This record gives sequence, structure tokens and C-alpha cells, in this order.
Amino acid sequence: MSCYLFRRNRLRWKFLLIAVGAGLAGAMPAVGHAESPPGSLSDTSPDDVAAEIDRLIEAQIGSPEKLAPRALDEDFLRRVSLDLAGVVPTPNDVTLFGLNPAPDKRAALIDQLLAGDDYAEIWASYFSDVIFLRATEARSRINQPVFQQWMAERLAENAPWDEIATDLITATGSVREEGSVALVFAHGGAPEELAAETSRIFLGIQMQCANCHDHPTDSWKREQFHELAAFFPRIQVRPQTAGDVRTFVVSSADDFRDNRRRFDPEQIFRRLDANRDGELVKREAERVPGIGDRFDQILANADADQNGSLSLEEFKTLRRPPMNQPGRGSAEYYMPDLNDPAAPGTRMQPVFFVTGESLETGALDLQRREALAESITSPENEWFSKAFVNRIWGEMTGQGFYMPIDDIGPERTAQMPEVLDLLAAGFTASGYDIQWLFRTIARTDVYQREIRTIDPLDAAPFAAASPTRLRSDQVYNTIVRVLGVENLAGQRTRRGPGANGPVRRDPARAAFAELFGFDPSTPQEDIVGNIPQALFLMNSPQLNALINGNADTKLGRILKEHDDDRDALAELYLLALAREPSDREIEINLEYIAEVGDRVEAFEDIQWSLLNSSEFLSRR
Amino acid sequence: MPLCLHEAVSLRPRLTRRRFLYSASAGIAAAGALNFRDLMSLQAADLRREGRAMILLWMAGGPSQFETFDPKPDHENGGPTEAIDTSVPGIRIAQGWEQTAKVMDEIALIRSMTNREGNHQRASYQLHTGYVPSGSVKHPSFASAVSQELADPDIDLPAFVSVGPTIGAGFLGVDYEPFVVNNPGQLPQNVATTVPGDRYERRLGLLDRLEDEFAGRGAEAVVKSHKRLYGKTSQLVLSDQTKAFDFSEEPQALQDRYGDNQFGKGCLLARRLVEAGVTFVEVRSNGWDTHQDNFERTGGLAAQVDPAMGTLIADLKDRGLLERTIVVWMGEFGRTPRVNPRTGRDHYPRAFNVALAGGGVRGGQVIGATTDDGAQVADRPVAVGDLFASVCQSLQVDPNHENISPLGRPMRIVDKGAVIDELFA
Repeated sequence: MSCYLFRRNRLRWKFLLIAVGAGLAGAMPAVGHAESPPGSLSDTSPDDVAAEIDRLIEAQIGSPEKLAPRALDEDFLRRVSLDLAGVVPTPNDVTLFGLNPAPDKRAALIDQLLAGDDYAEIWASYFSDVIFLRATEARSRINQPVFQQWMAERLAENAPWDEIATDLITATGSVREEGSVALVFAHGGAPEELAAETSRIFLGIQMQCANCHDHPTDSWKREQFHELAAFFPRIQVRPQTAGDVRTFVVSSADDFRDNRRRFDPEQIFRRLDANRDGELVKREAERVPGIGDRFDQILANADADQNGSLSLEEFKTLRRPPMNQPGRGSAEYYMPDLNDPAAPGTRMQPVFFVTGESLETGALDLQRREALAESITSPENEWFSKAFVNRIWGEMTGQGFYMPIDDIGPERTAQMPEVLDLLAAGFTASGYDIQWLFRTIARTDVYQREIRTIDPLDAAPFAAASPTRLRSDQVYNTIVRVLGVENLAGQRTRRGPGANGPVRRDPARAAFAELFGFDPSTPQEDIVGNIPQALFLMNSPQLNALINGNADTKLGRILKEHDDDRDALAELYLLALAREPSDREIEINLEYIAEVGDRVEAFEDIQWSLLNSSEFLSRR
Repeated sequence: MPLCLHEAVSLRPRLTRRRFLYSASAGIAAAGALNFRDLMSLQAADLRREGRAMILLWMAGGPSQFETFDPKPDHENGGPTEAIDTSVPGIRIAQGWEQTAKVMDEIALIRSMTNREGNHQRASYQLHTGYVPSGSVKHPSFASAVSQELADPDIDLPAFVSVGPTIGAGFLGVDYEPFVVNNPGQLPQNVATTVPGDRYERRLGLLDRLEDEFAGRGAEAVVKSHKRLYGKTSQLVLSDQTKAFDFSEEPQALQDRYGDNQFGKGCLLARRLVEAGVTFVEVRSNGWDTHQDNFERTGGLAAQVDPAMGTLIADLKDRGLLERTIVVWMGEFGRTPRVNPRTGRDHYPRAFNVALAGGGVRGGQVIGATTDDGAQVADRPVAVGDLFASVCQSLQVDPNHENISPLGRPMRIVDKGAVIDELFA
């Protein structure tokens, strides 16, 4: 009789009931806080802020029967492990957590997860998706692993969000070495794209509609968008070949001795024509970077008499370099003339639209970008804090105060704005301490409630947790955990050259992300999965080989270790869903096993069903 | 109240409580419309049975109009590209398009397309959805929108198949997401089961029963959408219709005419899918972003696209499919009249061209013209909305049909646009 597990589980249930009871009792004193004035922030301890958030929400919802009860330990454990470590807990974790009688075990678990490496890894991958899934420069992929590593380091040392934002806005360097150039390189240094994305990511304000016209529904003017773009014209993104590795370097192009606005071919020609013979040859052109390496092309185009050199007349036939060439670096930024796209456009002064802070034209690249970063991250600018809070709150609870989570700002209406204000004020006061925010949100009752299907028309937001779809990395981490393999490619993780070389990206993880990845700024209700994903989970030969119950697989081992079907079932459910099967599920599965008649085959089908279930792909 | 009627039709196949309430909150007289529902859905079903379809030949990167269907051999902007005669006297197109030239009597060229978006991502989005990108709403691809209107509910294959990546269904959701095929000519990845069919079905039965537990734990909506997805996917897996993906029954000579390359195979797959009842197939040709070496590169691309396109139109015609299938050749914009110092052409949305065939389009005509230097539209400018409205006319889809965005905003299939009457005259 191998009923040890069964007995252990029964014991665990008893503890679970006690824990639930304690949770309910613990909620009672919270009512006593009602005297403190709403929205006040005496200190920024996560516990106090979490309690105040719950008080505000409960007061707003009014009737307590609308609130979902506190989630079971096993649900909380799976949820918080996925959120803060990117993977489901092991069966052992589930049992131990259930058995742990400490009343503050949830808070302790949150702290423990935030201190782990997995926290940094999973959120680095999240921010990588935020930036790169909107990339307009396709080659920016080469920076992705470098960024992820950099971001993970920053998160592990709990660098404040304003520092990270400043790094991303002001970065320079080689894209194969410097992770922080991610945002700039993802858009090839293009000022308009950087204006749009900087505003979207750091302020949650979608300015890009104002690129071509005044914003159709908001009060943003076209000029304001282009004034924001005017912080970025001097960014230069140039290819560079070091050895046999091709890379790109993000730098500042501040050397504009001959202002490109006054394009004077005669002056340039005189400067290039070193020997003053009135003919420009390659040797002379080579002295000037940027012209020398293109000289053959220039020659092919402009050398009318085909004598291998350019006269002044031939040189003048060259087109004047157009304005706003992304990544080439331009002294100033010009707002295009919509009626005449060929015209130089209007020179714009850098002005930050939220506060009106401005710079003079002529400012150097880093002066511009640093000034912008300073304005954006200033505590005076409420949107910096609110954008981040809204994003993380939306990720953690499944519902943003504003939705979509990256479309906020003064012209949008938030649900329960006083809760957002409170949390944003606390986040700002904490010095933009990212772990403070995670800790505070995870400690709220809102976060710890049972899931319910949210009706968007119901006026009681945040009364329950909402089941959301897992991101690609979370699913992948969980699949390899459940199948007991290191990766789905069937290889060991390899490192690049050198003992400390960068970890080679697991090719199966990358392919999986191609299939299961989605832009994390997408509203949850738009993320519904697609046929190729379902086909992969149903029919991928790789996956099916790994659930072969007769081979040395995780399932094979479980079946060997547990000859009692109920035990094996419990183990499979704990492994895949981090919970035990319900009585009903046990009944369905036992019936199925009897019906199939072949134990191994039936269990393969059960594991297949668990991997293909909606619960497996969801945060509950 | 025509609005009510359209609403009722669109709500019919996927009348969830939420969507119904959105419509109601959008000010639709729900009670009245519901009474018409069955009547209208009968008419919609008739439309579905007609099997109207579209094949989009997408030239990703922005094809040069000068090196395709609007050559300017007599102007320096035309570069070295020569013009060739076609089966229709007076219509000349660029060299390299000899096979397409043979079926010019089926093709209408629009040489006066004009637009403002000169960025790949934005313009590709616009030419796929009819809308310029906006942060607040993810517009459905036009393909998804017409699939919703036209798709045969009884077909096992996805309504919208794309050979190569494309824009998705946006807020229309999982039913109208493109099914992306990367290796035309082969059964798509993971369509074949790893276990015998009866065991696969048995597994599906178990999964279905187990799903209820999670639904009962508060994830009703998630489970419902998951079940719908798995229903659709398993229908595909178990269907005989997947043999449309297999070319083994196609005569080798015909396969050769389409071309032994990704685009050629994609076009043959498109024909087979439309024949099997698929509503929308997109076939993508990459590499038209010719900032450098424009002439050499467009020549190489035409060598693949031209035979495939010419063969596709002829093959559809031979099989009697062309009448109900509109073929549209286009990219996100055109290219600059001036050749740049790298012998390339840059992005140019101000004047570009599109080719259409089938679906009731009168072939053998040219609509609009550009100036001699190709820099401007000289005659009959056609906006993106006009093109989309015209394609709707061919497909008999109401361009004013409104879908309700998740935030409750009604959005027409085509924002604004006037049908190009000459196309059908």
C-alpha cells in the first residue's frame, strides 16, 4: 500500500482549512483601519499601503458579498510563483507550503521569491518583450539576449525604475555588449519611433497618433509629438565590423561643423578636394568617414563623364542629404511638411509635452536625452510612476486601472483612481523601488483573492483575481519542469566561448517564443491562443515523446514509483497544475483508466490532457 | 435602421453575452434587431454558400511601380527598365512580367494609388486593415473581417490562411486569426497526430470533461474560449480537407508553371485552398524594399512572382474559380521616382500601383495614371479606402458593416472609401 502520499495529502487539507480560517479571521481587524483618512500615506511600508488599498477597494465596492474569498494556499502559491519566478512550484513546494502553519507565510514567500534569480530572469524577459515586440528595426534581435542579461542584473540588484529608464533613454555603445541600448536600437535611432515608444513605455501616453495630425481624440498637438522627437535627432546607429563579428554602435553625432541645413556643395567640395585640382578622387574622399566608404556608389551615380573622378559640376548633381535620416544623426529635428514630403520641414525645439520643459536647439545629444530622462523620471511627473504602477498592477491582477495598460494619461479615465494614486505615490516615495511595488501588490487581498470571470460591464473591478494567460517563458519553464527535461531541444544548455561566455539561447525556447509569444501590452481579452499553438501542444512529436510512459520520462518514473493510480494521479496534478485533483477529477480519470484498460496508455492520455488544458496555460 | 440589421447578422455566429451587451450599450435597439436575427442569418448563409474568396499577393517591402505595372521607359526616372506589350493592346507593363502580360485581359491595373504612410510597419498595417495604427485598438485585418462575413461555417479548414507572416484578427478574436503556413506543399507542422485517430479523439474527450473543473473554479470564459479553439483545431486535424495542403495529386507540369519556390508553391496552395472553400489566402513575397540595386533585385523577384501570378490567374479561370475569387497584387507603398545613389529607390506612398483580377473585376483596363516622371498621380487618385471598398463590392461584403471594438466603439470594415465603379463596369 503506497498510501503515504494520500495520507500526507489529507493532512495537508486539514492545514489548508486552518489557513483559510485564519485568513478570514485576519481580515476582521482590517475594518478597524477605517478611521484613517482615505488616501493618506503615513509611511510606505508595503503592508500598510496594501491594507489601505484593500480598504479603499472594499469601501468602494460596498457589499462584502461581492468580494471573492481569499484564494487557497495552493492557488496563491502557483500564482505568485508564476508572477515572481516565472514557473510553477514543485509538488514538494506545494505540500510544504500547505503544511507550513506560519501565519505570515505568504508574505515570507513573496520576499523569498523577490530575492531569487528567477524573479530577475522572468521580469527581464517581460521587459524584453515590451521593448522588442514593438521593434521597428528587425536587426535589433541581436541585442535581445544582451538586454535580457543586463536587465536581469539590474532587477537582481533592485535598481530603481528611474535609473533603468534613464539608462534606456540615454544609452550609447555596441549593441552586442551594451544591453541598455535596447530601446534606441529597437528603433534604429529613429526620432519619431523613439518619441512614440518612450512616451508609451515610460508615461503610458500614446502620442504616436499625433505624428501625422493633431491627436484625433486627445488634446495632443502634432507639434508636441515632434517636439518630443526633437530630443532624439542626434542619435547615430552605425554598423561596425570588429574581427568577423558585425555589430552596430549607438553613439552621439554632435560633430556638425558644417550644418546640414546649409548644404553648400561648393564648400564641401573645397574641403574634400585636398590637392585643389578641381577633381575629387577616392583617395581624397577616403579622408572623410562616411563619404569615403560610399565613394564608389557616389561615383557610379554622379560621374557623368566616367573619368573616375568628380568635378564640382558633377558633385553638385548629387542630391542634398535629406533631413531626419534615422540613425544617421542630424543636428536638429525637422517636423515633416505633410503637403510636401520633400521639403525640409520645420525645425523643432525639444520640449517635453507634459511639463513644458525645453532645451535650446543646438544642444548636444546626451544633453537632450539626459534632460528628457530627467523630466520623465521627475517625481513632479505623475505619469512616470502611474505608467509603471498600472503596468505591474495589470500584470499581477489581470486588470489595469487603465486598460490597455499602456494607454493612460490625463485624457483617460481610470477605474478606482484613488487606489492608483495611492500606489503611485507610494512607489514614488519609495524611490521607484521596483521590489517595493511587487511586494505591496502581492500582499494585497486583491492579489490574493480567488479567480472569477470578470465581466467588463460589472462595476466592481478588483473584487476578484482574474485568470490570465501565461506568457511564453512561463509556459516554457513550466513545460520543461513538468516533463523533467532541461529544454525541449533535447540538448544540454551550452555556453559560448570562454567559461563565462554568454549562455547560448536555448533554440527550443526561442522557437517556442515565436509560437507562444505575445506583446505583453496587449489587453488580456485579446490573448486567446491560436491554432498553431494548439497544434503544437496536441501533436508536437517532441512533446509526445516526452510523455511516453514506457520510456525513462517523468511520467514513466511516476508510474514506476506509484502503483496506486490515485497516488500517481495526485503526483501528475501536483506536477502540472500545482494542486491535487478534485474528487470529480479523480473519478473522471479513474473511469478513463478503467475504460482504456492499459494503465500506461491511459496515463499518457491524462498527462496529454493536463498539458493541453486551459488551466495549464493560465494563471489562476 | 440598417445598422441594427448588420449588427444582428454579425452577432449571430458568436453572440456572447458580453458582445451583445456592448452592442446594446452602443445604442442599438436590441429587442427589435433580435427579431430579425434568424431572417438575416438565412440571407447571410446564402452569401456564405456562394464561396466568395480573395487571394492577396503581398509584395512585402513596397514594390517599385516602375519595375512592375507602371514603367516609364521614356523618362530618366524609369531607369533601364523596358516596357513590354500585353495581351491587351495599349497596356504595357515592365519587362520581367511576361506571364502576367498574357492574362492582362483578366487584370485591372490601378496606377493612381495614393497614400501618406511611408513607414513599413504603419503602411503594412494600413494596407492590411484599412486603418492606420492606433495604440488604443488593434484593428482586425481586412482578411479577418471578410472571413467573419463570408466563411462557410461547415468548413474544417481555417477561413484565413497566410503563406508567411501577416497581420492578425485584432479584436475579432481567435476564430478569424490567420493560419500561418511556412512550407507550402507540405502538411503544416503538427497537423498530423502522433497517435492513431481514435486515440486522439479519446484524448479530446477526456480533455473536454476535465476542462469543466477549471470553469467551475472561476475561469468560465477562459475555458469557453479554449474549448472553441480546441474544437476548431481538432476539426482541422481530423479533417479530410487537409489534403488541400498536399500537392501530390497536382500534375508536375502545372507545379512547374507555378514555380519551384516558396511564392510559386504558395500560389498553388492558394488555389487549392480556395477550391476547398477557404475564404482568404495571403501569399507573401519578401524583399521588395529595394533601397539598393533596385533593378537587379526587382528582376529577380519578378522572376518568381510573375510566373506564379500569371499561372494562378489562368488556373483559377480554367477551373471556373476566377469569377468568385478576387486576386489582388499589392504592397505597402511604391518607390521613389528618382533613383538614389545606391541605384535604389526609396519609400514612396504618394503614387503607387495595384493589380486586381477576378471576382467580377473587368480585366484589360488601366485605372488612373501618373505624370510622365511618375512623381504625381495625374488622373483619378485612388485612396486605400477606395480600394478596400471596391474589394468589398467584389466580395459582396458591406463595407459599412460595423464590428464593435472591445471598448465598445463601432468600427466599419472600411473606414471611408468610395467604390471604384470602373472596376466593375
